[in-house]
Amino acid sequence: MTHPGLKIFSMLFGVFYIVAFYFDLALFRYYPEARQFHWMRTDGIGVVILWYGWIVTAALASAAVAVAVPRPVAERLSSRWVWIVTALVVIVTLIYERRWFV
Amino acid sequence: MIVALLILHGLLAVGLLGAITHQALSVVPLAAAKGQRTFVDRFRGVNGPAYATPIVVLFVVTAIGGALLYPQYRIDVRPALEDMRNSAANGVFEIKEHLIAIGLGLLPAYWQVWRQPLDSDAVSARRALTWLLAFFVWWGFLAGHVLNNIRGLLS
Repeated sequence: MTHPGLKIFSMLFGVFYIVAFYFDLALFRYYPEARQFHWMRTDGIGVVILWYGWIVTAALASAAVAVAVPRPVAERLSSRWVWIVTALVVIVTLIYERRWFV
Repeated sequence: MIVALLILHGLLAVGLLGAITHQALSVVPLAAAKGQRTFVDRFRGVNGPAYATPIVVLFVVTAIGGALLYPQYRIDVRPALEDMRNSAANGVFEIKEHLIAIGLGLLPAYWQVWRQPLDSDAVSARRALTWLLAFFVWWGFLAGHVLNNIRGLLS
């Protein structure tokens, strides 16, 4: 029922998400005032939401790696790495987002 | 419509908060209690694995609710906070959206580790992943609650 690739997916999702956030790599953009989705930046139609696009970027990238990694390699990976990598991503995120509180 | 969705989102978050807190405390390593069981013993004495799937479902559904509410926040609330020069409130929400996104990605491994046979690797992974998710849910809940009431809180 379970697949070792799930560990790879979860371990990398946070990394890809934060990379997508930092480098503005949203797969798509949503403009809520115009109620429109766009692949590229589109000026003049109001504020933009990138969050959905970052999540999809991270999901596709981590799923691609999880599928590409051979099953024996994924099985050898300790579950420990999932929370260690994610905890590091969270710490980096919190340090970066201190900018709002200074 | 948006108010109904906001209330539903809040109710789902309460359910998620309760479930993840029960489960997070159930994996705290404590010495076996002697004598009468306390409230804390009973609170943490739940069947942890039985909570995993409901927590995954609640997390996903609550996150979808939040995603549906987000455009309204981006159009109405965030500019108001910027007008109030309340960057800390915007920062709290930014962190919330990051943690919920990272939590969504964590769910497959979290679900898997609660289903696999318990060995030493799984024990520590269960504990850590559950605590991480609990942190994300608590942050999301408190941030959402404060932002929802921020005009009243600041008046």
